[in-house]
Amino acid sequence: MKVEMDVKKIWTVATHEFVTTITRPGVIFSTLLPPALGLIALVVAGLFGGQAEQFFQGLGNQFIPQDNRIGYVDHTGIFTPPLPQYADKFIPYADEEAARAALVAGDISGYLVIPADYMATGKVMGYTKGRGISGAMAMDSDEIDAFLVAHLLAGQVDPTLQQRVSHPADMSIVALSERAETGQSDVWTVLSSFVLPIMFSAMLSITIFVSAGFLLQGVGEEKERRVVEILISSLTPTELLAGKILGLGAVGLTQIIIWFGAGWALLGGVAVIFAVSGILPFGVGTLVLALIYFLLGYLFFATIMAAVGSLGTTAREGQQLAGFFSMGAFVPMWFMGAIMANPNSLLARILSYFPLTAPTMILLRLGMGEVPAVDVVISLVTLVIAIAFCLWGGAKIFRMGLLTYGKRPSIKAIWRALRQA
Amino acid sequence: MYAVEAHNLVKEFNGLRAVDGLSFTVERGEIFGLLGPNGAGKTTTIRMLLDIFKPDAGEIKVLGGAVDTHTKSRIGYLPEERGLYPRLRVVQCLTYLARLKGMGRREAKSRAEALLERVGLSEWQRKRVKELSKGMQQKVQFVATIVHDPDLLILDEPFQGLDPINTDLLKEMIREMHQAGKTIIFSTHIMGQVEQMCDRILLINEGQAVLYGPLAEIKSRHAQHAILLCSDDSLEGLEGVLRIEKRGADHLVFLRADTSPQDILRQLVAREATITHFEVAAPSLEEIFITAVKEGAR
Repeated sequence: MKVEMDVKKIWTVATHEFVTTITRPGVIFSTLLPPALGLIALVVAGLFGGQAEQFFQGLGNQFIPQDNRIGYVDHTGIFTPPLPQYADKFIPYADEEAARAALVAGDISGYLVIPADYMATGKVMGYTKGRGISGAMAMDSDEIDAFLVAHLLAGQVDPTLQQRVSHPADMSIVALSERAETGQSDVWTVLSSFVLPIMFSAMLSITIFVSAGFLLQGVGEEKERRVVEILISSLTPTELLAGKILGLGAVGLTQIIIWFGAGWALLGGVAVIFAVSGILPFGVGTLVLALIYFLLGYLFFATIMAAVGSLGTTAREGQQLAGFFSMGAFVPMWFMGAIMANPNSLLARILSYFPLTAPTMILLRLGMGEVPAVDVVISLVTLVIAIAFCLWGGAKIFRMGLLTYGKRPSIKAIWRALRQA
Repeated sequence: MYAVEAHNLVKEFNGLRAVDGLSFTVERGEIFGLLGPNGAGKTTTIRMLLDIFKPDAGEIKVLGGAVDTHTKSRIGYLPEERGLYPRLRVVQCLTYLARLKGMGRREAKSRAEALLERVGLSEWQRKRVKELSKGMQQKVQFVATIVHDPDLLILDEPFQGLDPINTDLLKEMIREMHQAGKTIIFSTHIMGQVEQMCDRILLINEGQAVLYGPLAEIKSRHAQHAILLCSDDSLEGLEGVLRIEKRGADHLVFLRADTSPQDILRQLVAREATITHFEVAAPSLEEIFITAVKEGAR
């Protein structure tokens, strides 16, 4: 690799790549689509918010019978007569015949048969009309549990205790950081600490591949269109490669900034702050870490894509060759379920140390909670070593691949190029 | 001071020697012909001069030093495999390529516009490259080669695919650059095309030099001692003639060593023959090349 580089030429390539890529209709479309969808969703919510609520309620009513009363036939005698608070909802019937008739007539949406040996077995039969969702929804098991518990304990324990036995936990989930900081926890928190960060991480990962993909496509086209020879007679392959990596990385960064900014503007910053605070129990530090992984990941894949892309004889062939590497990087996505269950599992940690999977893996783990410092350090070291190797070898393969027309270079030729000073 | 100095260049591909111990120099300000049949190693030699390929052995100096990014900025290269960015606008494409040669944006744009006007394409400068005809793209490609006002011009098969009018236009522009003191290297397999333009030539075959030196000197060295003449009358019975070969409408008349062209002319005048063409026959470069290759093989 030549040490001497002309910064002006690198800058020329970078600005050219940036401008010609960012003004492509496809890129403008994919950059503006997420904010546009967000804007549409906000406008719809703002204008039709009330109606939407009614609409969804109406939709729900299709399934849940309005008059959701449940009949029961009590062979134990414990549940008759019903306690006053349940009298409206639970209707006792003398026998199953009567209950069935009431169900058929539509007076009730289902009925229970509590057999004489209920106390010994706990078995209860439930009958509903039809097999669909409405039948299942009619028999709300929480409500039935509460009804049964209330009658079993009636008069034997204090009403508060009875209430607790019926509803032992009104669960709120609070994620504790290593510093044992606590926060509010509701649906919003789950969304902000879980869904949005993962989306953010996934978006960063995807952007790595979209930007590296532009590089791959550009190199392939320049080779196919035979512009490469003019370029290489004007500047060194390393300068060309550096300019391309910078320019297209800037395109990816611009997209992220636009998405981030649009999210901020659209949601008044709330969701974005949640997203960031979700990723970052320490605040800005982890966001910086996420950005470092984004940049390193991009640098790593961009170099590989450029080198591999230069080996194909056409743009399409280059893309096929590069597909192997992108697939490797998506491995963490395949194990998403297992990794979400335990972001610090052995599998997740091993994938964090391997340069091909590290950027995606760490970005995802950053979205799921704290990543142990040792994992960050090991993955950063292996990634930086891998990048250094890729830049060294990538530039050589790039130079050799660029001018090999007609046929794909052999492994032997690639090896020779790597060994050449 | 040389524009190019090459010593013992060797380049192998898969065990085959494309260039085999080639040495030559190109003087500043001259038009130099790098000639030879297809596959002789011309393009490989050029690519080594431009540091696109590294030679396996040998040394190269271009414009007084090793080829680095600054030297590259002073070279204009028209590759045999033509190519431009099809999606870019003509002037945008030219400006980018000029800037890669180290030119400022404004200067690059105004040079590009002026040259497009010179080749009759100023109305097309805002069009995308892919909208241009093949001939127009060829001219744009030539403009891309000279837009940054290079000191050394390397043209690989420059007239390939051009009609006679555009070939003339390009030849005229090349002559102007020569007059302005630029060094020009022509590479072509169609030797007749550059015969009139070159000061010196290097003729290569299978990666090795076959002929090298000033064109006039090579031609006189290979002079055939013959005349080319066109006459409707019979040429039978002329004194001092070895044999006569038909060359299109002309006759190539080979003379004995003791006979001069003037002796033949005198005889023809005495016969009152009608002569429409009479010249001392110099062999074409192609003929010299074939002879030299055959001699080399012996």
